[in-house]
Amino acid sequence: MDALLADTAERIFRDHCDKALLDAAEAGGFPEALWDVFSETGLHEVGSAVSGTRLADLFGLLQVAGRHAAPLPLAETLLANRLCAVEGLATIATGGVAPWGRRADAVLHAETGRVVTDFDHAPGTNLAGEPRDRIVGGTETPAAVNVVDLPELLALSRVALMSGALSRALELAIGYAMERHQFGRPLSKFQAIQHNLAVLAGETAAAQRAADGAIDALETPRFPDQVAAAKSRVGEAAGVAAEIAHQVHGAMGFTHEHTLHHFTRRLWAWRDEHGAESVWQARLGRRIAAGGADAAWEFLASAER
Amino acid sequence: MTFQGLHFDPVRLPEAAERLRAEVRAFVAEHMPADYLPNSDFNEGHSPEFTRALGRRGWIGMTWPAQYGGGERTFFERYVVTEELLAAGAPVSAHWIADRQSGPLLLRYGTEAQCARYLPGIARGETYFSIGMSEPDSGSDLASVSTRAEAVQGGWVVNGTKVWTTDAHRNHHMVTLVRTDPGGDNRHAGLSQLVVDLHGEGVTVRPIRNIAGGEDFNEVVFEDCFVADEDVIGEPGNGWEQVTSELSYERSGPERFLSAFRVFVEFVRAAGPEPDESTAALIGRIASHIMTLRKMSMSVAGMLQDGKSPAVEAALVKQLGNDFEKLVPELLRLAPPVSVGVAGSALRRSFEQTLLHSPSFTVRGGTREILRGVIARGLGLR
Repeated sequence: MDALLADTAERIFRDHCDKALLDAAEAGGFPEALWDVFSETGLHEVGSAVSGTRLADLFGLLQVAGRHAAPLPLAETLLANRLCAVEGLATIATGGVAPWGRRADAVLHAETGRVVTDFDHAPGTNLAGEPRDRIVGGTETPAAVNVVDLPELLALSRVALMSGALSRALELAIGYAMERHQFGRPLSKFQAIQHNLAVLAGETAAAQRAADGAIDALETPRFPDQVAAAKSRVGEAAGVAAEIAHQVHGAMGFTHEHTLHHFTRRLWAWRDEHGAESVWQARLGRRIAAGGADAAWEFLASAER
Repeated sequence: MTFQGLHFDPVRLPEAAERLRAEVRAFVAEHMPADYLPNSDFNEGHSPEFTRALGRRGWIGMTWPAQYGGGERTFFERYVVTEELLAAGAPVSAHWIADRQSGPLLLRYGTEAQCARYLPGIARGETYFSIGMSEPDSGSDLASVSTRAEAVQGGWVVNGTKVWTTDAHRNHHMVTLVRTDPGGDNRHAGLSQLVVDLHGEGVTVRPIRNIAGGEDFNEVVFEDCFVADEDVIGEPGNGWEQVTSELSYERSGPERFLSAFRVFVEFVRAAGPEPDESTAALIGRIASHIMTLRKMSMSVAGMLQDGKSPAVEAALVKQLGNDFEKLVPELLRLAPPVSVGVAGSALRRSFEQTLLHSPSFTVRGGTREILRGVIARGLGLR
């Protein structure tokens, strides 16, 4: 992604997304100040045609957001802004449930392409405490939006967010292992810890590469296969990585006071949103089976072209 | 040192490399030995005929200079040829080590005379190399090797024993890590690499039977074996640096995650065109790993092409890849209703071959434990 864009986003998220803000958002408070800065710099239009940025930049931005657990409905807002022009905060409902529906001015229903305003909502959250509100009624805008590849784009949004959160979980685990002393030396000097962190680093690197590859495949014929592979592989990495990151942090990481859970709970939530691994695995597997055993290699080898 | 992250920049294979794919497939269809059960383990199929035919096509030593019989092609072109051969399950073990490792080592550290002497034969598919690193008392702790080379008039006299030396009984030469100097406090000092003639005087090769019943690795015993000065690779005493530089080549290629690929292919065949949901999901899960590992491996190929030495990234690909290729037979055998087929079927035979060889996947070329140590060092933990 564009380096200036990445730097700007990194700086904004770093300045705003401290533990107090993450806790406040989880208590239901929308981070208005963060949203104001974000939209004043124009970042809310990244990925849409008017902004002069590419669709890939949108997902690059989500990777940065994932690193900071930014408590905004960014995936949905950016994708909605790309698909339709709405005033204020837009979000996307899947199965009638939308991130931050309680604060949104407009909701795009992913299945129908209909945009609604003036709706009611029933509040809910995912297991990371991120608002996932059921949208009730509302006034439909006349024209439907083209949502043909929206399921893949939403799945990719979780891939991008997870790859960012994974890199933070790895950093937190390495940092903790270096500062925490037991038996007279830092945890990082114990071989058992080193090996766990090596596995964590491997899963993180695999997730990053899978995410970058799927983003790179946007708007190519093999994009659906790349997303399926990435959602599956990154979801698998999320489970392994969250487990190790917690184990390295010991009881400290199990406390609400520590920040680790803002990332691990999101990993657990995001791997299930927009299709758990098995959903995308079956989709990918059916395509390979349909092509037959002797074409399986070509299917894999041609996926990068 | 703080952790700076690991770098796997996205890479797409250039058109020139992609174009080779169809050529390799046609070649394999023509030259695959009859009645051969395809096996994607680079160590398994040994066919001098196949290897020589590959050499005639210019697909050994592809990246080397033309003056030594090389093809002056890119690492990406070599990548396509090697992954296509592995995916097809072609017999590649005869030339694999020389092509991947010994040749590049000679190019980097060897003399012009050594390159002229050994590389053209390797590229023709006629000269095969083994790697003499491990010893009975030195496995993962490679710096503890005790095979000695004592300086004499015009060369060195070697005494000691190497083990787990793949194909030493049918290869021609072995790049042998020896101690030329006691080294003192620095255990990495005083090591050197020699090219030894495996059929020369003072060399005895004895097969070691593995759990699959095969005898492709060996014990190699040196008793007053003379090696001329001209067969020392690089500087005497520089062996440790040279050995560790080989490892980026050794650890990141497609052979580190495709060993079980033919079992997967036969499973897809047995599953048929419309498998049930859980069978399809298993196929997709394995595919998602291969697609991701392939991306990472190609990224390392890109770094090698740029002249970098991505040791930590290579170790990471090998760690992930080896664990994955061991997982494949374990996942498939518990997958109803296909499982791993009936006795005698191609699926069952592929499964059994792969399972029996799978303990070697996380041992050869650096154990899982050594790799994790390399990665931990890269993370700044040690």
